[in-house]
Amino acid sequence: MKDPEPLEPPGSTAPVEELLRLISKAARAHQLYLPNNPIYRRAIDNLRAGFAPVWAEVDELMLTIGESEIRWFDAPVAGERGNKSADNLAWLFYKDGVRELTFNKGFEENEVVRFLGLIQRARKGSPDEDDLVTMLWEADFAFVHYRYVDLLQEGGVGELADGGEIPPVGAGEIERGTHDAVQESRASGFINMADFDSTLYFLDEREIEYLHAELKREYDKDLRVVVASVLLDIFETQLDPEIRGELLENIHTLMVYLLTAEHFSGVAYVLREGQMTIQRAEGVTDQHRQQLVELAERLSAPDALSQLLQSLDETPTLPPQEDLAELFDQLRPSALTTVFQWLSKTQSDRLRPLLQSAAGRLAAANTSELVRLIASSEPDVAVEAARMAGQLKTQAAVTALGKLLADANVTLRQVAAHTLAEIGSPGAMQALERAIDDADRDVRVTAVRAMTTRAYRPALARLESVVKGKRVREADLTEKMAFFEGYGSLCGEGGVPHLDAMLNGKGFLGRREDSEMRACAAIALGRVGTPKAIDTLRKAATEKDIVVRNAVNRALRGPGAHET
Amino acid sequence: MSARNSAETAARDLSLPGATGEGAGDAHVRRAGRQLIFSAYGALRAVKLYPVENAAVQKALDEVTNQSKELIASEQELELRMSGEFIFVNQTRLRLDLDNFASFSHLLALFRASGIGRVTIAPNVGPKDWLVFLSVLQSPTADDPADRLEQLMAKLQSAGVVAFTFAPPTQTGDGDREKAKERAKRTYTQGVAATRELMASVRIGGSPNIKKIKRVVQGIVDQILSEETSLIGLTTIRDYDEYTFTHSVNVCIFAVALGKRLGLGKLQLYDLGMSALFHDIGKSRVPQSILNKTGGLNDEEWRMIAAHPWLGVLAMFQLRGAQEVPYRGMIVAYEHHMKVDLSGYPRQIREHPLGLFSKIVAVADGFDAATSRRAYQTVPFTPAQVMLEMRDNRHRGMDPVIVKAFINLTGVYPVGTLVVLDTFELGIVHAVNPIPDMLSRPMVRVVSDAQGNVTHPGTLFDLADRNENGDYLRTIIKTENPERYGIRVGDYFV
Repeated sequence: MKDPEPLEPPGSTAPVEELLRLISKAARAHQLYLPNNPIYRRAIDNLRAGFAPVWAEVDELMLTIGESEIRWFDAPVAGERGNKSADNLAWLFYKDGVRELTFNKGFEENEVVRFLGLIQRARKGSPDEDDLVTMLWEADFAFVHYRYVDLLQEGGVGELADGGEIPPVGAGEIERGTHDAVQESRASGFINMADFDSTLYFLDEREIEYLHAELKREYDKDLRVVVASVLLDIFETQLDPEIRGELLENIHTLMVYLLTAEHFSGVAYVLREGQMTIQRAEGVTDQHRQQLVELAERLSAPDALSQLLQSLDETPTLPPQEDLAELFDQLRPSALTTVFQWLSKTQSDRLRPLLQSAAGRLAAANTSELVRLIASSEPDVAVEAARMAGQLKTQAAVTALGKLLADANVTLRQVAAHTLAEIGSPGAMQALERAIDDADRDVRVTAVRAMTTRAYRPALARLESVVKGKRVREADLTEKMAFFEGYGSLCGEGGVPHLDAMLNGKGFLGRREDSEMRACAAIALGRVGTPKAIDTLRKAATEKDIVVRNAVNRALRGPGAHET
Repeated sequence: MSARNSAETAARDLSLPGATGEGAGDAHVRRAGRQLIFSAYGALRAVKLYPVENAAVQKALDEVTNQSKELIASEQELELRMSGEFIFVNQTRLRLDLDNFASFSHLLALFRASGIGRVTIAPNVGPKDWLVFLSVLQSPTADDPADRLEQLMAKLQSAGVVAFTFAPPTQTGDGDREKAKERAKRTYTQGVAATRELMASVRIGGSPNIKKIKRVVQGIVDQILSEETSLIGLTTIRDYDEYTFTHSVNVCIFAVALGKRLGLGKLQLYDLGMSALFHDIGKSRVPQSILNKTGGLNDEEWRMIAAHPWLGVLAMFQLRGAQEVPYRGMIVAYEHHMKVDLSGYPRQIREHPLGLFSKIVAVADGFDAATSRRAYQTVPFTPAQVMLEMRDNRHRGMDPVIVKAFINLTGVYPVGTLVVLDTFELGIVHAVNPIPDMLSRPMVRVVSDAQGNVTHPGTLFDLADRNENGDYLRTIIKTENPERYGIRVGDYFV
């Protein structure tokens, strides 16, 4: 028998060959570039333009997919014999069973990008993922049609038969049965009209609206959260430990999926409801209880939480704040270290307040952990812990903060001083007092200002020794002012002679103190504020040195005047 | 045959056509076409409810006239074409959804009942033309189905209406019908085989081939969208030994068909079908000795049977692979025995309302289970009994709107019901009547004559047919248990 004559294409194959080349190029561009990339845009434009010469020849383009070649009628137009790689479009479609692809006019405008996306998905997909036949089915293209052989189903049409064994019944018996039924019906004359009123079964507008709402609800509902609630419900109602063990595995898996999907409110839901389950479920074994507790602990563990925070820090679009807040609400005290670490290094201005809020909540509920972290060997953690102690005015942190004041790390000492000042209790002031003599200027200033604000009289002796000593003369103006303000606030009348001498007195060879020292003495006298101090100030009211005169005038106007 | 036609036919032969026509044509035609269908539906109702002089009738007729003229003005022509479940305006397929399915299906059914496959509307069409056409369209006729279109055209002609030109539907020859049946059988058997494999795989803790299941559900959705009768007919097969598998496939078929009736889109039907096919997967973790036990079940055994919804959730976690987790399926499996008031089983602790898909599957499951013979239900209920029970017994806890839509889908006498006719004949309900008002007068295959002689394959009759006096030729007297008459219903659908 002779082979059938090969089918001749109705026109030149060149435009079709070119088109398939353009599809391959565009598919590559789709894979490599973002849609706003000029190379990508050019590839798509070229592909769209490539259809024009084809449509000049035919109304539709039906391509036969071979193992490694694509044919138009019987002419090969793409592919490479023997090439069984995903780069070869023929093989890509053939291996999943697609045997024919037909493109219609309109494809190039409406569906080409989705089609390229599908090719990309097929190329990248693992064997477990959907095959091209399913992808084409789901894509529901209007301008692409396809034929396929089903490689998944074996055999043809199986035998179908009603399997029940029913003994045959004779014609007479059937006749008797039907006649009896008809007679009976006629005799009773009873017909249930409702069964015959078809209009009863048409949906009215209200019912259609109801279905609309139900369908919307079906697709709006958070499937993962519902599944989580189902798993926890099953856990609570089923006492079999083996089942519960399996459920816990599934809950753990679900939580990982939720985290991967950045579904943070879902994770929070699982953790929150997990705690409810611990309280409510009966007969929970110690092991299962521990596993439920560990759900939250695992997320709070440094490795897991660091990963989460890193991804949040790097993501260009942070998930909704309320979702994150819900999640952070579920963190455990063990998360504090990691949260403090990230507070110091996060680059995200949106993440920081959330972390701060979480840290605040965790620290407030776990003071001992907070105090422990003030002594952390990691300076970043200690700093954040100390700051948090200040915000929370944590009395229990005073001792740890006092120890921190002796640390060699200046930053730590500064933060400790600030924090103790914020706490402001007598204990905190006592711990802070020795910081007046700290080697760091900021620590000293912070300490002195705290003493001033709190009018902490036990510090007078230290302040007096500074004010009367040499060290203060070497300090900058801000520090000088801080010390003199502090001294003035605490010394009372007893300090006036010394301050008077500084402001108005003349020393050896009639030399006066320098302007800054005299101005500071004036400020201190203003703080003292007694008639004797005011008199002292008035003596200098006509001072020629403008710095001194201004300070005196401000002091005379009252406490705080120098600040305006 | 054009190249395009041959491609479509070939694609159909391979069982999975790509979508045809969706998206073709511009948005204007789609929008104006939908409006025309709404107007025609409104006019149909007005003409049926009120006298011609009523202002509502006149307004409705003016509206449908204006809509048609507007379309003709913009498109230069106006043709309505019926194809399967779809209506095309010129070359554009109108999108079917929840907003419009009632008007679409009503109009489709009337056109189908009158033998209209295509109607072309002339530019000079007026309100009077529409009045006559719509009145004739919904007037009862005693004509033989094959002659109905001719009679309709004659009536219009005698009334002087020439603005409509009709053509019958594209002929579906016996060969095509056989092919459709073959496709349905293939889909069904593949569904049963894939479900069997799935259950077996889950039972031994393996990883079943979900691709196969997906392909089966895609086939069912395609089949239901193009021609549902054959597939629904196959749900009457009651293979006792394969109950668990055939039941899953049947529930999937009923659910998808019901979803279509409710106006769900193709991908939503796919989601629904997947969930429905998996709804009983939990039974793969119930000992077979209990599933197959023929005697009564003790409390512990019932407890194990009643565990299958939540066992289904666990079983589906076992299915997870590189692909998506079947969350929706898990929820449906878990909820399909719950009642709308959240009673039933399993007991919810964290309350959430039942999902629409769960309610649909609950109805499909309840119907198929009650009408099937299985290990612990040796005498099944008749489909009509079950339907009435679902409708009337609120304690069953099914959503009344879904039940109503289900009855609308299957008719008052569902496919496969054995009925006694007032002619002393026995018949098996073959399909719901395409005329919307004739839900209680289905298409029936008469399988025994008045003398009790059983015939195979029997003869198909439309119970809406009347004699010259306008009386119905055949009327259902009652439904019967097929076993009483030694009839295996499924044999008539294979």
